[in-house]
Amino acid sequence: MLKLKNVSVSINNKNLIQHISFTAPEHKITAVIGESGSGKSTTISAILGILPAQADIQGEIFWQDSNVLAMSSKERSTVGKTNFFTIFQDAANSFSPTTKMRKQLYMFSGQRLGHKEELFLSKMSLIFKDLDLSEDILQRYPFELSGGMLQRCMLACAFYNEPALLIADEPTSALDMLHQQEFIKLLKNLNNRLGTTILLITHDLEMAVSTAHSIVVMKSGEVVETGQASEIFEAPKHPYTKRLVANHF
Amino acid sequence: MIAKWLGKRLIMGTLVLIIVSFLSFFILQAAPGNPATAYYGGNAQTLTAAEQERIEKAFGLDKPIIYQYGTWLHEAVQGNLGYSAKEGRPVLTILLERLPNTLQLVGITLFIVALTSIWLGLYAGLNEGTLLDRGLSIFSVASSAVPPFWIGIVLIIVFSVQLGWLPSSGMNDIRGDGGLIDRMRHLVLPVIVLVVSHTGIFARFLQDCVKVENSSYYVQVARANGVAHREIRSAILRNSIIPYLNYVGVTIPSFFGGSIVVESLFGWSGLGQLLVKSVMVKDFPVLMGGILIIGVVVILCLFIIDIIMIVLNPKLKRGAWQ
Amino acid sequence: MRKQRKISIFWLVILCIIFTVTIFSSFLAPYEPNAMNMNHTYEAPTPTHILGTDQLGRDVLSRLLVGGQVTLLIAIVSVVISSLIGILYGGISGYFGGAVDAVMMRILEALLTIPSLVIVLAFQAILQGNVWSMALIMGATGWFVTARIVRSEFIRLKESEFVQMAIMFRTPIWKIFVGHLLRNIYPAIFIVILFNFAGAIFTEVSLSFLGIGVPPATPSWGTMLNSAQNNLLIGAWWIGLFPGILIFVTILCVQMIGGAFKQGGERSHA
Repeated sequence: MLKLKNVSVSINNKNLIQHISFTAPEHKITAVIGESGSGKSTTISAILGILPAQADIQGEIFWQDSNVLAMSSKERSTVGKTNFFTIFQDAANSFSPTTKMRKQLYMFSGQRLGHKEELFLSKMSLIFKDLDLSEDILQRYPFELSGGMLQRCMLACAFYNEPALLIADEPTSALDMLHQQEFIKLLKNLNNRLGTTILLITHDLEMAVSTAHSIVVMKSGEVVETGQASEIFEAPKHPYTKRLVANHF
Repeated sequence: MIAKWLGKRLIMGTLVLIIVSFLSFFILQAAPGNPATAYYGGNAQTLTAAEQERIEKAFGLDKPIIYQYGTWLHEAVQGNLGYSAKEGRPVLTILLERLPNTLQLVGITLFIVALTSIWLGLYAGLNEGTLLDRGLSIFSVASSAVPPFWIGIVLIIVFSVQLGWLPSSGMNDIRGDGGLIDRMRHLVLPVIVLVVSHTGIFARFLQDCVKVENSSYYVQVARANGVAHREIRSAILRNSIIPYLNYVGVTIPSFFGGSIVVESLFGWSGLGQLLVKSVMVKDFPVLMGGILIIGVVVILCLFIIDIIMIVLNPKLKRGAWQ
Repeated sequence: MRKQRKISIFWLVILCIIFTVTIFSSFLAPYEPNAMNMNHTYEAPTPTHILGTDQLGRDVLSRLLVGGQVTLLIAIVSVVISSLIGILYGGISGYFGGAVDAVMMRILEALLTIPSLVIVLAFQAILQGNVWSMALIMGATGWFVTARIVRSEFIRLKESEFVQMAIMFRTPIWKIFVGHLLRNIYPAIFIVILFNFAGAIFTEVSLSFLGIGVPPATPSWGTMLNSAQNNLLIGAWWIGLFPGILIFVTILCVQMIGGAFKQGGERSHA
């Protein structure tokens, strides 16, 4: 499970996030809600270790009781490679324009795990069938595919990796309604079938409430409230949460 | 689709050649005296009136300019570029003698410049803030501020005069029997000069491209997910090479310009040196022919680059070009 | 950004010093640049001749200063000419668009393919070079890149509101050109012009060095390097060194100043 304890990040003495503490329980879907500027992306970057070099980080980030912030960078990247996978918001730009999908998907899945290409191809084709993706996508370049398809490809990589923790940073913001719903369905599927812990970042309150088990509410770089999805929806405590709920429902 | 694009480039190339031929022809026209005498140079005075008239008829000088241009072009396309005013030999022959030498020089230089600048640019761009990065930026600015021939002069002094290691001019030792090693020795200095004066700007350009790619979305995504560094690097390079090649294409003409100066400095018997000589002695037919040939060579180079671009740029490959 | 502009002031100052010194060269030069003195040939730098003398006994410092005047004058004149032509060509092509633009651009692309040195060479053969004809030729062949940049800027700006409004109000074209468009392309053109200036110095120096630029008798940094070529082999290093240094510093200044103002440059990605 993932646990953040009092995490603060600042750059050049400017505070980005402060005293962030929450837990993403194992095998559950946890949603982090907030509007833009709330610090969601910074939190993700902190977890993944991709903050800019000048950033200063305090606090502890526990993965299965080990503090990743206290690890050497080699250790940390091994932990990341073995356990995490992240899907980002802009699927269309998540891929390099000049390499075929086959190579890129391999880079994101099989190659990371040390699989040979033949193994990757056979495993991936099964996943593709599940996700209703045609195999000739592998021969295409990213610019030939739609945003929805590309995001599903990313999801395919997620299925392949079977990560202990899947982080999805606004994965549907760039998709149209139909693809959004499809994607969320698949996400739930992943959680059901493989028990993957999912950390879902979104600004869409409805999506959070209908998908996640627990919710973390962020505002201006701080956590203002956490709780089960149903609690947040029915009985929000913090005034900001109350406003959010009131505006959406 | 590719055929269409290539076809377009071919037409462009032909258009350029036509304009170049215009330029060449115009030069002949603007030469003092009438073009016939320009064609036959100093010997023209010895021509009798009858002979002059014959030449005029032959060149159609009594006909309108368009007709003259047409005849000249017609002849040129068939390989008849006239005769050198100084040497009296066919221009085409002289040009073809010199062409391989220039191609040797330029070819080797481009090869070295490409390899070096790509390697330097890539690693400098990836390792922002390090000595390599800053050093390259400084070097590129400095090296493009120095006139290439000045570098050449310094090199000649050091390596030819003081140390006597390398020859200072010519393409072969007069005494020796030629051969590859000898030619190589003579190539060293001119190539160094051209390489030093151009690698900087090319490397710097790639460096900038790499920096841009390095901070792009897909790189962040790949890094966040622990994709192998080797793969990320290769992807960055693949994406940076395209604007880089574009830049090379745009810079090729000035590259040939630079080779002209270097050839003259080192007495390298290539097209560039020939061009300079022909200006000095006012050998107009050779000058015209030389300009034409250089135009052809540049266009061919650009064409080759276009083809490489098609191979490397999937958007062109799949016909989705803008 | 501001820090870069502050640094560029340093280079600007140096450039101004060079300019001032060459402009007032006639007053500053200790000797007549063409005054030959066969008793004092090939003298290394001494207190009487601070930068030494050349093969004809002429004072290097004086020739350097006056030569600078020639080189820089040619460069400036040619840049003025090329900028005017470039702005006009690029402006018309960019503003009117359509078929006019298509044709003009094709021609421009063709012109860009020919090495400019070659074109200048060719014209030098016809017009017996003197300083002014050279500047004219260089100006007539150096406008291509300027035209391209001006064109893309005009295309960009044409769509902007205030230009559209001006068109609606039937403002005469030349007013739109000068009042609206030209005023706003300053930053882009500025850099191009700067680099054109450096390029012009380069071209003059290269051609004069080859012997087909400024007439060899006239002192210019290029012709000095031409005579320096042989002199260096004899060991008279000072004749070639100082023009070389000055050329390098001048171009460096221009590049540094231009570099400080560069935003990102145009780049075409996959």
